[in-house]
Amino acid sequence: MTKIVLAGLLATTVFTAPALAADPIKIGVVTPLSGTYAPIGQQVRWGLELATKEVNAAGGIMGRQVQLLFEDEEANPAVAVQKADKLFEVQKVDFLTGTVNSGSTLAVGQTAERAGKLIATTVSFADSITTDKCSPNVFRVNARAGQQSAALAAWVVKQKPKAKVFLLGPDYEMGRSTVATFKKRVEGLGATPVGEVFAPLDSKDYTQYFGQLRQARPEVLYTSTAGNDTVRLLTQMQDFGLLSNLLVVGASGTVTSQNISAIGAAAEGFGTGVGYSTQIDNPANKKFVADFKAANKIDPDLYGADSYGLIYFYKAAVEKAQSTDTDKVRAAMRDLSWDTPQGKKTMRAGDHQAIQPMYVVQVSGGAFKVVDQVAGEDAIGPDECARF
Amino acid sequence: MTAFLDYFQFVLAPQMITGLSLGVAVVLVALGLTIIFGLLDVINMAHGEFYAVGAYLALSLGFAGVSFWLLLIIVPAVMLPLGYIVERGLIQRVFNKPDRHVTTLLLTFGLGLVVEDVLKVIFGGNTQRPPTPISGAIDIMGVLLPNYRLFLILFGLAVIAAVALVVNRTRLGAVVRAAAFDRNMAASLGVPVSQVYAGTFAFGVALAGLAGVLLAPVFSVFPTMGRDFIFLAFTVVIVGGMGSIMGTVVAGLLLTQVQALSSLIVSPVWSDPILFSIMVLMLVVRPQGLFGRLGHA
Repeated sequence: MTKIVLAGLLATTVFTAPALAADPIKIGVVTPLSGTYAPIGQQVRWGLELATKEVNAAGGIMGRQVQLLFEDEEANPAVAVQKADKLFEVQKVDFLTGTVNSGSTLAVGQTAERAGKLIATTVSFADSITTDKCSPNVFRVNARAGQQSAALAAWVVKQKPKAKVFLLGPDYEMGRSTVATFKKRVEGLGATPVGEVFAPLDSKDYTQYFGQLRQARPEVLYTSTAGNDTVRLLTQMQDFGLLSNLLVVGASGTVTSQNISAIGAAAEGFGTGVGYSTQIDNPANKKFVADFKAANKIDPDLYGADSYGLIYFYKAAVEKAQSTDTDKVRAAMRDLSWDTPQGKKTMRAGDHQAIQPMYVVQVSGGAFKVVDQVAGEDAIGPDECARF
Repeated sequence: MTAFLDYFQFVLAPQMITGLSLGVAVVLVALGLTIIFGLLDVINMAHGEFYAVGAYLALSLGFAGVSFWLLLIIVPAVMLPLGYIVERGLIQRVFNKPDRHVTTLLLTFGLGLVVEDVLKVIFGGNTQRPPTPISGAIDIMGVLLPNYRLFLILFGLAVIAAVALVVNRTRLGAVVRAAAFDRNMAASLGVPVSQVYAGTFAFGVALAGLAGVLLAPVFSVFPTMGRDFIFLAFTVVIVGGMGSIMGTVVAGLLLTQVQALSSLIVSPVWSDPILFSIMVLMLVVRPQGLFGRLGHA
């Protein structure tokens, strides 16, 4: 058996080595380069390009240069599928990444299954991608929604053991699922939910919920509002004097660079769980932030960092497999550990979800500061993928 | 009993009082709308955007160091000529077409879209917020109310009373009402009707600007903020009787209380459908609204 494999390897090396050295490894990137999600697509692109440049300068992957082929998916699953098909069938890419919204990732995952290729998302949060809708051809290198709330919940009960928690979410799928996830997590750690409210999206006035909020006398408020809604919620709470003696925490999209200045002092102390922060204190991250800033004149965010790490994930997997063949690379990716600016990540074999250290950040003086780190194993949650 | 007191103190009373402050805010926005409709017979779809312009003016002048109290005078004073120019330059041109309702509605709708995008280009898409001019909160029988909201209620009611007084009790108001009732008769008696029209439109726009100054600290400032209140304001105007100041006040305070109290019983997502159903019902049963039109018997 060993002999056959060795002979096979030898044959491959002998007959294809010249072609391998000449042909680049092609990675397709289907990402939104226009429209609402363009800023995210931009970060994905910059992260991938920076890592590719570094890998190529150091000799490529198994002596082959890496080439990125970009396609605009317009954050539309139908367009994403079309562009992915083109990259797989016409351009013959070896690997594909870049999808941002979860619908595109799920749809392109099916395309990859048909084409017999592998894809990875570096952005999509939806838990379903690596739980009930998992696919043997789809990997996720970024943290899913559940990991963020697990890290946050662990931190909250450390600050306020047996806390009374009030939950407030926007009344649609994302709002309800984030609140339900956090509630389950924090309840499991000994906290007591004392009330929950779902406000319509784009609510003008949150004061109508303040009565319930005061009556419940919570020590912690969890919210998953976003954009203007957060501005109104937090500033109106401040006007009503509700922020004193209350720890406010929320989803990762609740307070962002877009709305933090409008919220002003009312954002002070707000905490959330994240997979990345430029403040993470390790040499790899410091180098990454400096290089990224030098190349793009802007700080990397979560999406840039996770996309950067993906290239090193693929490189490690191909070098371990000594091939770009789908089945061999898939086997190599499972249980693979690799280094990223966020620390060591490990790809869980059972559901293709990366395990990574999670961070809790808190607003202090108008900017997020890292206040705590939660080990990857404590934040990952059970493997719920039943397909493979 | 304590359970009820707790419910009253923490839920019912605050709900009604914050409902009242929202009601005053809506009436302030609807006031200009109803006056413009009552007099000019123009449905001003750009009214929400004039409200946004007022808020942005307050925001930028505030950051430049102008005090909030001065803004209450400066912003309406700047909006007045702006409204005058819009009426003379745009609305007057299509006003005498036979299908006036359609053309003015489309014109102001288009104007609103343009203004919204211009705001986005100048100020960017991110939400901004001026600081709250009066901080702190007072305790009224155990119900906590921020001082600025209290000020908003009192000042808003004063503005509404002043506008009602001008329209109904002064000679200027009589001229305006005369021009609304019968423009030809008023013109033949020496009333400069087209000037009155432009002036009234400008007055309505200035009121929208004033509402922008007052509400910016509470509801924050962003390019699409004009759409925020406009549907509610239209509902108030229709239920109250288009052009009636009294009707606007009554309907505005009533509807916001309906909204505040209904959201205690059913999910707050239903409060908009409930309000719009009231409006539809009103249009079917009593199309002229609770009170009649301005200047009409």
